[in-house]
Amino acid sequence: MSETTQLRVLDFDCPSCASTVERALDRVEGVEDVAVHFTTGRVEIDYDASVADPDEFERTVENQGYTPQPV
Amino acid sequence: MDAQSLTRWYRTHRKAIVVAVSGLLYAGGWTLGYLTAYDTASAAVLLLAAIAGGYDIASAAYHEVKSRTLGIKTLVTLAAIGAIGIGAYWEAAAVVFLFALGSYLEGRTMRKTRNALQELLEMTPDTATVRRDGEQREVPARDVEDGEIVIVKPGEKVPVDGDVVDGESAVNQAPVTGESAPVHKADGDEVYAGTINQEGALEIATTGAGSDTTLQRIIRRVEEAQEAQSPTESLIDRFATYYTPGVIVLSIGAYALTQNAILSLTLLVIGCPGALVIGPPVSIVSAIGNAARSGVLMKGGEHLERAGTIDLVAFDKTGTLTKGETAVADIEGFGVDEEDVLAYAAIAEKKSEHHLGDAILAAARERGPAVPDGGRAAAIEAEEQGPSDDGTAAAVPTETDATGRAIPDADDFDVIPGKGVVAHYDGQQIVVGNRSLLEERGIDVPGEVAEYVREREERGETAVHVVHRAAGASAHSVVGVIALRDELREAAPDVVAALQDQGIRTVMLTGDNERTAAAVAEEVGIDEYRAALLPADKQAAIEDLQAEGHVVAMVGDGINDAPSLATADVGIAMGAAGTDTAIETADMALMADDLQRIPYAVSLSKATRWNIYENVGLAVLTVALLLAGVLTSYVTLASGMLVHEASVLAVIGNGMRLLRY
Repeated sequence: MSETTQLRVLDFDCPSCASTVERALDRVEGVEDVAVHFTTGRVEIDYDASVADPDEFERTVENQGYTPQPV
Repeated sequence: MDAQSLTRWYRTHRKAIVVAVSGLLYAGGWTLGYLTAYDTASAAVLLLAAIAGGYDIASAAYHEVKSRTLGIKTLVTLAAIGAIGIGAYWEAAAVVFLFALGSYLEGRTMRKTRNALQELLEMTPDTATVRRDGEQREVPARDVEDGEIVIVKPGEKVPVDGDVVDGESAVNQAPVTGESAPVHKADGDEVYAGTINQEGALEIATTGAGSDTTLQRIIRRVEEAQEAQSPTESLIDRFATYYTPGVIVLSIGAYALTQNAILSLTLLVIGCPGALVIGPPVSIVSAIGNAARSGVLMKGGEHLERAGTIDLVAFDKTGTLTKGETAVADIEGFGVDEEDVLAYAAIAEKKSEHHLGDAILAAARERGPAVPDGGRAAAIEAEEQGPSDDGTAAAVPTETDATGRAIPDADDFDVIPGKGVVAHYDGQQIVVGNRSLLEERGIDVPGEVAEYVREREERGETAVHVVHRAAGASAHSVVGVIALRDELREAAPDVVAALQDQGIRTVMLTGDNERTAAAVAEEVGIDEYRAALLPADKQAAIEDLQAEGHVVAMVGDGINDAPSLATADVGIAMGAAGTDTAIETADMALMADDLQRIPYAVSLSKATRWNIYENVGLAVLTVALLLAGVLTSYVTLASGMLVHEASVLAVIGNGMRLLRY
């Protein structure tokens, strides 16, 4: 079943860092679609709930050195 | 402080701590090397500085590589490792420290920009006092259901959208509409979540709660607007897709020629178009955030950039330059009583749903004249009714009811757009309209009538003729004229003057005739007017102005003017807070009916456009100078990084000026 979640990352420091995070999230298993907006820090993730672990999204953002917050 | 809160403190301040530790070690190692001869000790401390500052960068670089992207962090890591490899510890520590410091400051300032909207969201209280099962209860605001009664005490913030059902108060709507003056609210008025109740207690029937409030919708729109790419951003993105490989080729070429690994890594690191890609989005996000806090919704960077080029603002007259509250100013009868003139007109206009008709009906209800021709028809209805009947009142009897007063329904009526209405009633014909309708129908206008009409029109009023033809008669006679007035908004002349000061031409579009339009135009001080326009003509007028080479903004109400707003280069809708359609069609929406926001929005757009140019210019200049400097060995890895990070911060700082514009 497809679900959507949002995170907010307020400390993105450059547009390419945001796209790096986007690509990293895209590679997380079960993620169907992801959009990371540098300007607002909004992260939208569509994922297959039977495969993906939502905690993994936050870890992926943290791995890139940023602090995700739930919306 | 217990262990848990210490961990939390460390996590939230990690970046600052890393920068501070790395900076201190760097300064220590540098001092040691400068003051003493212990080169090894100095190198060790500098190496520690590079590791402390570089650990997070390297681990992010690892994840970059893992997700197969070549990012700035990978490049910085490579450069630092390369520098350590050739024993340039000072360079390695400097580049790592400067990059970490730069990123930290950039993230911090961007957070400030991103938080500009959060402040608006925090205006909405988390809980609401509702009346449930006869008692007052405090519940989470998002759980309030539509139709539930919410009580808002004086001084409290309104937790939901709703309609006032009891009480009266002044409400500060600044968070939603940007208006600084409180708005009076009483029975039936709409109030918005996030506004502040200042005087009396209000009871509100909920129409929207949680994420379904006007404020939330506006914020979502603003965020979408901030996320949309502007033309400059897309251009830079396209440029970057060629530029970045170009820098890589350049650095490989430099290595092939010089065999100097540090030189080619330096090229890679400082060749990153950091300031170039960050500048335009920061300018736009700051400007849109600033506008949102002033009650102006900008639909995106594209619209904002276009708005920065407008040189002509066209205003719809009614409801934009004027208050849109047309009222009967004077009635003159010619051979008939004024009361009868009004009564004839009221019958013809009863179902016309035109704003002039509404004003005539309102006057008829207020004055309550008897319907002409004695007892045959009913008298004017006193019962409260909306100005434009919705048809439910069609059953009002035309038989005389001695006490009930009603405006009888016409037997049939025909609206001629932009001209007037022709109606039949009980064998009589009534024509209410302008000169061109009378000409079209071959109805003579006596000299004294024309004279009266001219006199009223020269005051900026709209005069409509009332023509009557008795049952069985063949001749029409003009029985009277009704003069209607729509007061100018007080701010209109100042707003027009402010736009003219910015070098912008102002044009008024109106359905009024030439003389009325000229009088109003003079009163407002507008440069140009186009009169006698039918609704469809307004769109053509905009195209006309564009064909003259102008970049045109059109200001209107967003509903009736939707086609001309869409045709204009920038469509600006007024009073859009409650109307989603207006927000939909416009490029820019003013939440309140506040004309004064227009010069502000126009000058903010122009300032944003300049700001983007400044940022792009500064970024290009910096990168060009740095590349030239590296290739001629004037710029080293560390000093290049310093200038690079400084240019990024300068560009962000410049863009953020727009937050306080």
